[in-house]
Amino acid sequence: MSSLLDRVPDYVRTFERYVPSRPDPVLMRQFGVTHLFRLNNNENALGPPPLAQEAIAAFRPERGAIYPSGDAYDLRQALAIRFGKSPDQFLVGNGSCEVISSVIRAFCGPGDAIVTADKTFAVYEWVAKFSGIEARLVPLVNQALSPEAMLAAVTARTRIVFVCNPNNPTGSWWNRARLERFLTALDGRSLVVLDEAYCEFLDDPDYPDGMEVMERHDNVLVFRTFSKMYGLAGFRIGYLCGSLEAVDIVRRTHITYSVNSLGQIAATAALTDDAGHIAATRRMVNNAKCALRDLFAAMGLEYISGAGNFIMVRTPLSDTLLYRKLMREGVMVRTMTGFRYPNWIRVSLAQEQAMEALAKALPKVLECA
Amino acid sequence: MSDDVCVSLEIPAETAFACPVAGLADVLAGRAGFDQRERYRFQLTVEEFCLYLAGLAADNRPLTVGLTGKRHQLRASFVFQAANLSLGALNITSRATTGTRNDTDEEMGLLLAGKAADRFHLQHKGADRFRLEAEVDRAYPEAAPVRLPEGLRPPYTIRPGRDSAQLTQAAALASAVYPPWQCPSSFRTPGKFPDMVVDGQATCVLACDAKGQTAGLLAWSPCSEQGLYFSGPFVFAPPEAAANVARLLVDGFLETVARESYSIVLSFRATSDLPEASFETLGALQSFVDGRLESHPVVFRQLREDNGLAVWCAPQLENFLRQTYDRLALPRDILPVGAPAGRPRRDSLLGATYDRVRNFAELEPFLDGEDMTANLAAHVAAFRRQGIGTILYYMDLAVPWEAALAGDLLQAGFAPMAVLPQGGQADKVVWQHEQLA
Repeated sequence: MSSLLDRVPDYVRTFERYVPSRPDPVLMRQFGVTHLFRLNNNENALGPPPLAQEAIAAFRPERGAIYPSGDAYDLRQALAIRFGKSPDQFLVGNGSCEVISSVIRAFCGPGDAIVTADKTFAVYEWVAKFSGIEARLVPLVNQALSPEAMLAAVTARTRIVFVCNPNNPTGSWWNRARLERFLTALDGRSLVVLDEAYCEFLDDPDYPDGMEVMERHDNVLVFRTFSKMYGLAGFRIGYLCGSLEAVDIVRRTHITYSVNSLGQIAATAALTDDAGHIAATRRMVNNAKCALRDLFAAMGLEYISGAGNFIMVRTPLSDTLLYRKLMREGVMVRTMTGFRYPNWIRVSLAQEQAMEALAKALPKVLECA
Repeated sequence: MSDDVCVSLEIPAETAFACPVAGLADVLAGRAGFDQRERYRFQLTVEEFCLYLAGLAADNRPLTVGLTGKRHQLRASFVFQAANLSLGALNITSRATTGTRNDTDEEMGLLLAGKAADRFHLQHKGADRFRLEAEVDRAYPEAAPVRLPEGLRPPYTIRPGRDSAQLTQAAALASAVYPPWQCPSSFRTPGKFPDMVVDGQATCVLACDAKGQTAGLLAWSPCSEQGLYFSGPFVFAPPEAAANVARLLVDGFLETVARESYSIVLSFRATSDLPEASFETLGALQSFVDGRLESHPVVFRQLREDNGLAVWCAPQLENFLRQTYDRLALPRDILPVGAPAGRPRRDSLLGATYDRVRNFAELEPFLDGEDMTANLAAHVAAFRRQGIGTILYYMDLAVPWEAALAGDLLQAGFAPMAVLPQGGQADKVVWQHEQLA
């Protein structure tokens, strides 16, 4: 009478499944509010670019019966034109998470390891762990990824180094020189994934463009997403770009037909005319960032504010308690204990109304605590 | 990798197999390095449970037996199917000589098994499937006197506690410096603590000074599938550095467990060094210490966002739960459950553990029965005879029949003290017997 659980590998048995938050209407009922400002997932409060919105509106329902392009053909053509590369250098997935899985499956086997930071986007670590791959976690130094420490963690068993640039949740980033020194010192001993999910929020000329870096380093894969700047999180479109050889290898472990038709159409349209959307989003993010920096400074709260459409703040009470109290005020933030930042929260930077709601709710719940 | 000695087997539900399995248990206990007395207790436990459960098994369904020899403990598990399961003789209040029970030979065996083991646990696995676990602990010598480290100097750093000698020293230091209530019993026999760490039953972080001397300790163990119970922070650094060391220990603890499979951490025995801002206070437990009434806060925090649960609740508990959930801003759907219409068996079964040094006992319900109120009273009386003042009872609100026992508890003199969010399968209510000895 052995249980089902006895028959699964240890690394699956001991892995804790991720529990996503419940749908907004359920949360609003549970917390007794009539409106919820979603400041937890770094979504773009402006929504998708105008042409993507038009494409979504024009989607005919009968197309729902037709399978999507199995390898996101049109979207890869559009990406190739945008970045001046071959369409075969792109691989599109059901969000970056699927692409992360595909890369780990392609390059790692039993006994292998990945290297990443201890306080970064969690999915690299999760996928490695539930795949039976060791995740070697390198502590941040001064709230930033340390190239020296990451290099020191690389062994002969290391197959991939994940560099989240800019880093979620600290917003710190490596500049051109730092990244170049790192890649030179690594000397091709492992693959390097540059996760640039938030790159479009930066306009600093010293920020290294992964699309250019990979031309000089064929062990570099670049990850990007339509979920953040492009406001298409609901469609789950992420992609990677790398050398023809590397992408061909990843394609072998990647599930075709995993990306839905409407998402492909919307993402393709989004690339067509995004300059105004990016500029508007940057303005919104910068305004919100200034407002929250001022708010936290006035309240005497320590914060970490770098690149990206988010800001972290240390709370004078348990972050999970603060979450519940803010939910009662109709404001949803992300607790950071799971990112190994106990008693910090991360707040997405959004429009004025949402920031004002937070500015009103936070002092109120902290006073009552 | 674990160095447990393990044997698992499936045997026909026939009494003839009890003796060979007991022999196997003895070999395993010997192989795991336990002395004669513990080997005998383990062997007796296994044999008597095999005999009893063979008699219960429905339709000759086989019995699955698991035997594990850890460094600090021998453990036997039995997975079986039984309709109308009754294990009243396993209550720690059961006596063969009281004349109040019509003991059959089988119940005498059960009584012996219950006494030979240090503790047991019964899990209902659905329908008529159960898992019974019994544990026999290794005996360890008491702690030797220990001196506080001198000349501790910053910078203080945190490291995972793995070195056996350092863990032994840290546990002994905590026992010497902090009151018994705040220390797990394994600290009183410090050799046990590092063995539990090696066995994976306990985990800890140590604070060390610039020279690597022990400056602090925070330890934790699983208390349910969702919860970790922590002890500490124990700080041995000078007063001017105490707050910093405590903060490092707590942050090190939370960062270590942040991506593990647990939803909450909690403690009834957190020290006064605990940085309060990192935790929520759920309530307080009362005890008499040296004739003085003391209050022990129940501290807690979640490791991830709480997006709601449904809980069962008897009418007698509803006001308490609603007020508590409102105070804690916890979204909960409260589902009504009535008083039990009829009891499934005559004898209830309570799991009971106690610690005389800490003046503390804990009860949890394993099987409901007609005698539940009387059984609760009998347990309270038995603990009082041992001089134990603080008696707790845990109610898991995910289990309707457990939630329905609120009336029995009130009748037996218990009062709800705190709700542990996600402390069991769902939230757990901690009840304390109102009368403090």
